[in-house]
Order: sequence, then structure tokens, then C-alpha cells
Amino acid sequence: MCARCLELSRRSLLIGGGVSAAALSTGTAQARIRPADMVPLIGPGYRPTEKDEQGLWKEMERAEEEIAGSNLLIQDPKLTGYLRDIIGTVGGPAAKDFRIYLAHIPDFNAMMFPTGFAVIFSGLLLRMRNEAQLAGVIAHESGHFLRRHQIRSWRDMRRKSDIFAIGAMMAGVGGAAGGVYLGDYVQLAQLGTLLSLFQYSREMEAEADAIGAKLIAEAGYAPIEMANIWEQLIGEEEASARYRRKRRRRGSLFDTHPSEGSRMVDLRADAAEVTVPGRSYNAHRDRYLATIGHIRPMLLDDQVKLNDPGASQYLIETLARDGWNGLLRFYEGEIWRLRNRRGDDLRAEQSYAAAVAYPDAPADAFRWHGISLMKAGRATEARAAFARYLAMKPNAPDAAWVRQMLG
Amino acid sequence: MNRFMTLAVCAAALPLAACSSLGGEGYGLGDYLLVRVHRVSVGDGGMSVVAPRPWNERRRSILFDDVREVEDWTLNGPILDGISFVSGMKSGRYLIRQRKTADQQVPKFRDDMTPPEIAAMLESLYRVRGGAVEFRTLGLQPRPFLGANGFQLDYEHLDSDELWRKGRVVGAVINGRLYMILLDAARAHYYNATLPDFEAIVGSAQIRR
Repeated sequence: MCARCLELSRRSLLIGGGVSAAALSTGTAQARIRPADMVPLIGPGYRPTEKDEQGLWKEMERAEEEIAGSNLLIQDPKLTGYLRDIIGTVGGPAAKDFRIYLAHIPDFNAMMFPTGFAVIFSGLLLRMRNEAQLAGVIAHESGHFLRRHQIRSWRDMRRKSDIFAIGAMMAGVGGAAGGVYLGDYVQLAQLGTLLSLFQYSREMEAEADAIGAKLIAEAGYAPIEMANIWEQLIGEEEASARYRRKRRRRGSLFDTHPSEGSRMVDLRADAAEVTVPGRSYNAHRDRYLATIGHIRPMLLDDQVKLNDPGASQYLIETLARDGWNGLLRFYEGEIWRLRNRRGDDLRAEQSYAAAVAYPDAPADAFRWHGISLMKAGRATEARAAFARYLAMKPNAPDAAWVRQMLG
Repeated sequence: MNRFMTLAVCAAALPLAACSSLGGEGYGLGDYLLVRVHRVSVGDGGMSVVAPRPWNERRRSILFDDVREVEDWTLNGPILDGISFVSGMKSGRYLIRQRKTADQQVPKFRDDMTPPEIAAMLESLYRVRGGAVEFRTLGLQPRPFLGANGFQLDYEHLDSDELWRKGRVVGAVINGRLYMILLDAARAHYYNATLPDFEAIVGSAQIRR
């Protein structure tokens, strides 16, 4: 295969080793970091003054230019404006300086770069149940910037790994080796490459949690949602791994953290600490759904078609805690159909039949309902479902095939 | 399906930029065989075709390809264009080799699949193994293939290397086996440049009786 790939990947492994060593050495047990102690280390309009940081900023400005021009970004002004508003609310002193981009990647991830621009993956929007959760992730990422984590970890790593030219590091670091989880999208990863330079220590993650809880509570969001996000993430990864009979993968949004149990305890304690008695907090679920509702079918499609039944089922059931509807029932059927084990046809058939009974059932639910009826030998009912599909979606790309089925 | 492998292997090692610009060096003479302009059998020999001009057949390696029914050709390299053949795959088999423990899996083929189900199986192949972040079905229609009632699927997809690609599949399930020919190429230029070859190859396809 490509000859230089091997050479570079070997180098990246070496550097990756350096990174994880850095992470381990800071992993001593520690008391909970209190939100009240988390003072932002930078103010509005921050610019670096030291030479090494200035160099880093220059590289990052180039990276941002590239990311801003990527065709993987979702440009929908309703969504990008919404994200900008949220970071403008929970971004602390740097609120006005942050930039935020939405990438069309079906993974649970978000990242903050050292110059104050963030990239949110579309898969995150699928997984958040309300605006408070989304604000929690954004506040956590802002916290890394406000506490200057990137430059701190970069200096730490550079000291340990004996590499001085940032350009050389960037050429050599592979995202996967650095431990940044980008799913199968590592190619995108100029991102992964850059981010593996900023492996956060456990202490930094705990700081970002604490400052994040403080920022969202100040903005009036229910601070307990920070703990709920974490619970959902672990739940999803466990469901996916259990399904394939293996251990949970490591390395996602909140990686290199102390044991999950203690993080949950800390996040709940943070939430209690930042809650002001008598003040009312809101999760803003309605506003969240009103803003992202129109892309939810796409987000579900992106996830379910990856055919990761454990994770997808967990996600759909998590979203359905707020109530089942035609869209969720339809995608539940899609999970079984793609999984394609013994008995799954019947499970899928039942989900499609349930989906089409809801007023919000998508057109595709009628098509798949029709196909499953047809395969079960119920031709008349199948034709009715196909007719309904064509009525809802007269220009469907597969209309010619469906018309043939109608006879 | 080989391009999926190529992209995946490059992806695991480093960002695409280095792979795509240097990939050519890696695909030396040893990796490809010349396909001449006369009838050749493809895959495991279950189907034969005639190409209108010479193409390059990706040599199958013991390491990556154990799907005997699948064969890949390219004209300008697998990043830019490719034609793949599936020469009668049995029910219960997969288009690509994958680990049972992989989180994301390409669905298995079953002989009772309808064309929309085969289309969905291919979509998952592109999403799971090709790194597609967007996949649009442009058309699915009946089309005779190898003398049977087959289908034609047209689609386009945006991959994580930020390139839009476009594809056409013509296929049919005959006696419980899946026969397909797929064209997948960069949407800009390469798709249109290779479509006439693809159509000629599809028109020439014969099943082994």
C-alpha cells in the first residue's frame, strides 16, 4: 500500500506514546475540583504574547481556514446561528471571541481548538435531549479554552517528547494514534491530527466539567444535565460494545477521565454546588427540538445506517424517553431490518406498522411497511402502503420501482 | 470493494492528504493486472464481460480479499474511479470481509432481498466502509440484467476526504445469487468519463451457465 503511510504511521505511534505517557503521569487521585474555584484564566479578546503560543496560533489559524472551507460543514444558518448563540451565552469572558462550526459527521464528538474555535459533530445533535445538554458540552469545551488547557498540554507534551517544530509534529501525528476517537472518519483528520496534540489530562477534564457546570448554571440551564450527558454517552458505548460482546471502546468526547463512577459523583456534586436555591433552571427542550427538529430525520438516518444496532437502539430508546413518535418507530424498524438476524423481519415489520399509525410517520415508513407486507404475502395492504408512499413523495427516487410493484 | 479497503487502510495510518497525493507510488505494477479487450471472466468466474478499452484489475491479496465473487477494476486509480463486479454471491454472505466485533457492520446479503434492500445494503457499505457522510439515492428503477428482471440504482455520496462521488449499480438476483456491476467515480469528470465504458461492460455481461 502507500509506502510513506507506514513510515509516517510509525512516527505517529511514537508520538502517540509520548502523549499517553503525559496523560498517565498526571493521573493521580485527586479531590473534586470545585466550580467555585474555576476562574477563567483569560479575558475577552485574548491574544498570545509568548513566542511559542504565537506560533501555535499561526498554525491554528491556517487549520481554521481549512475547516471553515470544508464541504463537510453543515451551513444551515438556523443551526449555525443557534450554536453561535449558545456559545455566546455559555462562553464566559471569551463568549464574543469564539467561533463554532458544525461538521456533518455521525459521531458523538465536539472539540475546542487553542485559538478559540470549536467544531461540533452532527452526531452530537442527535444525542442531546435538550438545549441544556448541548450547552453543557459547549461550556465544557469552552472551559478548556478559558483554562488555557491546549497550550498547557501542548507545552507539557513538547517538553516530554523532545520535538520542537510544530510543523514536524503535525506532519507526523496520526489522529488514531493520538487517541482521539474519530470513528472511521480519521481521514477528516487534519482534525484528529491537530487534536492529538492536545490530549487533556484527567485534571483538565475535571476542570472543564466544573467550569462548564458553573457556566451553564449562570446562564439558567439545569446544571444536572451535564451529568446526564455523561450517563448517556457511557450507556451508548456500553450498549454498542455489549452487543458485539466486547469491552467498551475508549477515547471519545470526555476521554482520559478518572473512573466513570467518580466522574458521575463529581458532576452531580458540581450540579448541586452551582444550583442557587430559589432560582429556576430550564432544560429548554422545546426550543431545542424546534431548532433541530428539521434535521432529526437526517441525523437518525446517518446513525442507523451505520448498522451499529446496540448503539442505535440505545439512542432511539433514550430519545423515546421523551415520547415515541412515527419517526422513532420507523428508525427502530430500520435497525432490525439492517441487523438482519433471524426474526428481525418480523420485528421490523411490527415497527413499521406501528410507525405508520402516527401522524408524523415519514414517507419512507410507508415504503418499508409496504415492502414488509409484500414479503409477508399481503399484497393488497402492501399496494395501499405503496400508494400512500407515492402520494407523500411523488418524486421519490425509487418511484419507478414502486410503481412496478403497484402493477 | 477494494477501494473501501484502500481508503480504510490509508485512513488508519494518517490523514488522507498524504495518502492521496502519494498513493500512486504505492500502487506499483505489481498491484494491477491489465484487462485486455476481449471476453474475460470476473469474480469467481460466475460472470464474464468485455471491456471497450483496457482497464486495470486490482490484484487480489490473501490479506484483504477473501470475497471470491468480488473483483475491482480501475482506470485512473481507486481514488478517482472504479468498477466492481459481484459474480453470483450466495445468500448469507457479505460484500466485504469484516470482523464480527466491528461496531459498524455492512449488512449481509439474503436471497429474498428486494432492490430497495440491496440498495440499503450498498448504502451501508459506503457509510460504514467508505467513510461516506452523505449518501443520496438519485434513482432506483427496474432494468433487465443478464436476461433477468434486475434493477438500476443511481446515487452520489460525499466522503470524508471531502470528495463527492457518484455511482451506478446494475444488478439482479438469479437463482438465489447476487450479480452486480458497480461504477463509482469522482462526480466531477470521472463519472461521466467512465459511464460509457460501464454501460458497454454491463451490456456485454454474460452469466456462466
